[in-house]
Amino acid sequence: MSLKSLTRDWQPMSFGFLDASAKREIRRTSLKAIAVPGCQIPYASREVPMARGWGTGGLQVSCTLITPRTRIKVIDQGADDSVNAASIRRFLARVSGAPTTMDTLEADLIQSRHRIPEEVLQDHQVLVLQVPNPEPLRPVEPNMSLARQMHADADYGRMWLQLYEQIVRSGRVMQGASYPSLVNGRYVMTPSPIPRWDVPKLHMARHLTLLSAGREKRLFAVPPFTRVEPLVFEDVPYRVEDHAGLSCARSGARGFFMNEIPQADGSSSYEISDSELGVKSIRQRDNETVTIGDTWYKNGEMAG
Amino acid sequence: MTAAPLASEFDTRTNATYEALMWALSRPGLIRTLPLAGLAQIIDTLIDRECAVYCEDAALTAQAMQTGAVLAPPEQADHLFLTALEHADFLTRLPQGSDLHPEAGATLVCTARLGRGPRLRLTGPGCEGAVEVRIDGLPDGIWQTRAQVLRYPLGFELFLVDANRVLGLPRSTKVEVL
Repeated sequence: MSLKSLTRDWQPMSFGFLDASAKREIRRTSLKAIAVPGCQIPYASREVPMARGWGTGGLQVSCTLITPRTRIKVIDQGADDSVNAASIRRFLARVSGAPTTMDTLEADLIQSRHRIPEEVLQDHQVLVLQVPNPEPLRPVEPNMSLARQMHADADYGRMWLQLYEQIVRSGRVMQGASYPSLVNGRYVMTPSPIPRWDVPKLHMARHLTLLSAGREKRLFAVPPFTRVEPLVFEDVPYRVEDHAGLSCARSGARGFFMNEIPQADGSSSYEISDSELGVKSIRQRDNETVTIGDTWYKNGEMAG
Repeated sequence: MTAAPLASEFDTRTNATYEALMWALSRPGLIRTLPLAGLAQIIDTLIDRECAVYCEDAALTAQAMQTGAVLAPPEQADHLFLTALEHADFLTRLPQGSDLHPEAGATLVCTARLGRGPRLRLTGPGCEGAVEVRIDGLPDGIWQTRAQVLRYPLGFELFLVDANRVLGLPRSTKVEVL
């Protein structure tokens, strides 16, 4: 063995930005995360040229998975064109030469902040969700060592109590985003701050979901065909946002998750949150040929 | 704008290997294709000096040592590479992690013959309904032993490699011998 055999030729940047040992660690971690769905697995979370809390966890997973042929889509609250999404997409393309897309149907790898696209994801697609707070028990147990013990014991009593108290005080569950959900009947996870509208899309889905929190240094996964059940009481059914009856002011599409745009006169107008679906709907309305994939929600109702 | 860094042969191969392993574990029972035949590429993809490795094969042992990994007995290894699994009892020696850290369970990579032998029915996360596979070249009683040993969420992952094909069995998968 010589020193030469232990080193590699100099290059200005590793392919996919992360060095080989960082990638190997994320590979090992995500394999274990897939094997134990919903269990938060600690990892090192290396430095990336972005502030922690801006999607570094998702970015590291994307950098590990990316190849020059992986077609990437990045969304931020449903939009492909917001600053955060555009910067991450450009960074991923620069460090790998991978092609980019905005079309959900074409993408192999979708990194997302706080939304799941409205078009159904397929077998070969990977959804990477950026997670600000991976610990669903934090509101009821701020000590993370104790919270880990509660996960080990599947002790979710306080979680249920919190939901019960919300119903008693307010008449409904007040949790708007990151609704706690039971994965594969064992671990309660936070699905990242996706709206309640999106949580049922994870249940028995065809695609693989990897959730990564860079600042909190934890990674967890929802494999395909895995049960994801929002925590609900038998007599208080799970409710998604009342967006089924709203229609998009720009495209006229109905029955999808909407962004509320406050108007000067105090009223609101709405536009579709999944920006690429909005673009497709506008082009379809203008009689252009577009392919809109099968959607999870049809006429505002979750299919199946 | 500077040109994107080019993927070396090593990057391309280990990324493709990882993708095969990831999908093999995500969809248990569906056989994936590795870029090369054999176990060596999995060492390249996953192992470095943070790992404790158990190998029986001399060439694999040398390769694992080159990565800087510690060699460990099966009871303490986090990754095990076997060219032949002789006894079903071997599974009882694998680390299964703890309640606090189930991820400390082992990953066992071993060679087997896929598509022949006893019929198995797989159910659990990643299986669309139930998936039927045939796996040969493993010791008698291995699936009974695996079922006895595993206490989900504790457990270990199995990767079965047949030349350049790989099948993954996460701890969450229930195996039924038909």
